[in-house]
Amino acid sequence: MKVGFVAPVLVLLLCVNIFPLCYSIWLSFTNADLVGVDLQSVGVLNYSFLFSDPRYAEALRTTALFVVGSVSVELVLGYGLALSLRDRFRGKAVLLTLLLIPMMMPPAVMGVYWKLILDGSYGILNQLLAAVGIGQPQWTTDPDLKLLSLLLIDVWMWTPFMLLISLASLNAIPSYIYEAAAIDRASRWRVFRRITLPMSAPLVGLAVLLRATDALKQFDLVMAVTGANDGATQTLSALLYQVMFRDGKVGMASAYSYVVLILVIALASVFLRYLTQLQRRAGAA
Amino acid sequence: MQRIPGCVSLMLSVCLWAGTVGASDSSLTIWWAQWPPAAGLQELSKDFTAETGIDVQVHQIAWPAYQDQVFLEYGNKTTAFDIVVGDSQWIGRGASKGLYLELTDWIGDAVDLAQIHPLAQRYLMEYPTGSGRIFAAPCETDALGFVYRRDWFEDATEQAAFQAKYGRALATPDTWTEFRDLAEFFHRPQDKRYGAALLSGRGYDSITMGFQPFLWAFGGSWGDRDSFAVRGHLDSPGATAGLKFMIDLLEFTAPGGTNADYSGVLDAFTNGSTAMALNYFPFYPGIVEGMGDQAGFFVVPGHEGTRAISLGGQGFSISTKVAESQQLLAKRFIAWFQQQSVQQKWITYPGAFTANTALLQSAAFREAYPFNATFAQSLDYLRDFWNVPVYNELLAANSRVLGEALDGSKTPQEALERLAVEHEMILRGAGLGQ
Repeated sequence: MKVGFVAPVLVLLLCVNIFPLCYSIWLSFTNADLVGVDLQSVGVLNYSFLFSDPRYAEALRTTALFVVGSVSVELVLGYGLALSLRDRFRGKAVLLTLLLIPMMMPPAVMGVYWKLILDGSYGILNQLLAAVGIGQPQWTTDPDLKLLSLLLIDVWMWTPFMLLISLASLNAIPSYIYEAAAIDRASRWRVFRRITLPMSAPLVGLAVLLRATDALKQFDLVMAVTGANDGATQTLSALLYQVMFRDGKVGMASAYSYVVLILVIALASVFLRYLTQLQRRAGAA
Repeated sequence: MQRIPGCVSLMLSVCLWAGTVGASDSSLTIWWAQWPPAAGLQELSKDFTAETGIDVQVHQIAWPAYQDQVFLEYGNKTTAFDIVVGDSQWIGRGASKGLYLELTDWIGDAVDLAQIHPLAQRYLMEYPTGSGRIFAAPCETDALGFVYRRDWFEDATEQAAFQAKYGRALATPDTWTEFRDLAEFFHRPQDKRYGAALLSGRGYDSITMGFQPFLWAFGGSWGDRDSFAVRGHLDSPGATAGLKFMIDLLEFTAPGGTNADYSGVLDAFTNGSTAMALNYFPFYPGIVEGMGDQAGFFVVPGHEGTRAISLGGQGFSISTKVAESQQLLAKRFIAWFQQQSVQQKWITYPGAFTANTALLQSAAFREAYPFNATFAQSLDYLRDFWNVPVYNELLAANSRVLGEALDGSKTPQEALERLAVEHEMILRGAGLGQ
């Protein structure tokens, strides 16, 4: 009877998760093509090609830059905003709601809007810059600015997420700890360093992990703003799309995606271990 | 037994009747990109339906998604289209992967090949190029050409100023050197006026099509079409000079002109800021409609007696993944479309161009639209990119590496040396050449 209740979910999981996962492992060792002709095993050829493909190294570098750049800025801004918004004040609810709007928007749609905003000739940002006599940066075409533009959009979209989680973590710190610190005449910096930061770290760390794994898969903004094949902004997901759907190399794309998967799992494991340690320390304190 | 309520029964009957009436006994589905010629084809096909009773549906797919959607569709056991109007570069992939039906034995009897421009036959119909094996029939024959601000060129003040500065009359250019002078002359960024708009975008084939006229005119090439050798051709001094010349010209474009795709180039011209813009002819009816006599047209310039123009356009190919009966209908449509009388009507639709040599030379064609005479002149200089199965990887490499040269992070020499190596690797990986 119990099995009967669980079976539909298990079958669904097997069909939409487990089977594609196993099937794509097999595909990664074949010459599978999008138009599906002459499927043959090629051994580890796809994996060996991957490590000699300069595009892969470049996409890895771009993705790393994007993850580190976006998540760190979002963390600092989000946590900073949360610190300034933790106290009660009139209009806090309205302000919070307004601040959370960007992360409610679909990334692909936001990418299209931002492409218009950042357009070098008729974009509203450059019009505003021209009005105050500042130059006309080519946000989406200058190779030195393209990735920065994507970072800007991502930070705009996802800082509210960091704000939300940070605020929740700050509000979860019991007030009696602050009262005890006040009795001990601890300085504001000491309170922040010894109480606020360590006690909010586990939850904020979780938000960093979620954002980092999400940023590692960055695709929507790249496609909408610069396209899948722009060397300056080609993330791993964009490269995967290029190999799979443009070049039609399903086997190769499967191999590429498995290496990405292993990287994500490795990073997540390291981070989770670190988070567990943080939680233990916070518990001990 | 429960009775079906009367109104439900009536609705079901109406639906069934509508379905029967809507679906013709025989129908053809054609997939093409979303642009004016596709709308023209839908209109024209009504004549075919009237003659044969075969219903024709032209499904238009937005350009950026077109290629992906067609090849994704080919991943299925059967395709939703009977005919695909495929880009010239696709033919190698379509032919060698068994996606396009071979038409060699059929087409000679059904279509008068002598009427089709030899370069259209070579690049739009055959694979391998020059082999005589035919996998497509011309639908839209296309070429790159320049549109320019005729009113600026005919302005007496501008003419006097140009004469004083360059010692010759202000006229459309015949060579790239003359073109450079004109771009420099009209480039006045302080007045938001720019000299030229060239194809330099990083999506699909924009940068490739924009670079080709320079590559070929200055003595370079993509490689040897027999041996598939690339080094020594793509990184030759001529090719390097061509790329350097193109990069120097980008100085006279509007902000962002180093990364402008087809729509970006169109925008630069239609917003009234640019003197000369390079694009494919089917985009020009809209310009004529919007700007009238302000716009003129000229053939892509040459260099030291060599002129070469990027071919565009697409051919009709029949899917191998549909029933034989549908393939027969598709053949019937293609044969009908190639008839002289049908071609005569085809060229009356905005942006619709023909490969029919007799029509190309006719006064009726040359006078139908302001750009038609320039188009007819351009056809004799057409050349095309590789149409091998791995064309898309070659195009992607171009976008990245040529893009780096245009952005200034690689010198033209470095970029072409790198590109030649990448192209050879891609071609060898596909089993082409030694």
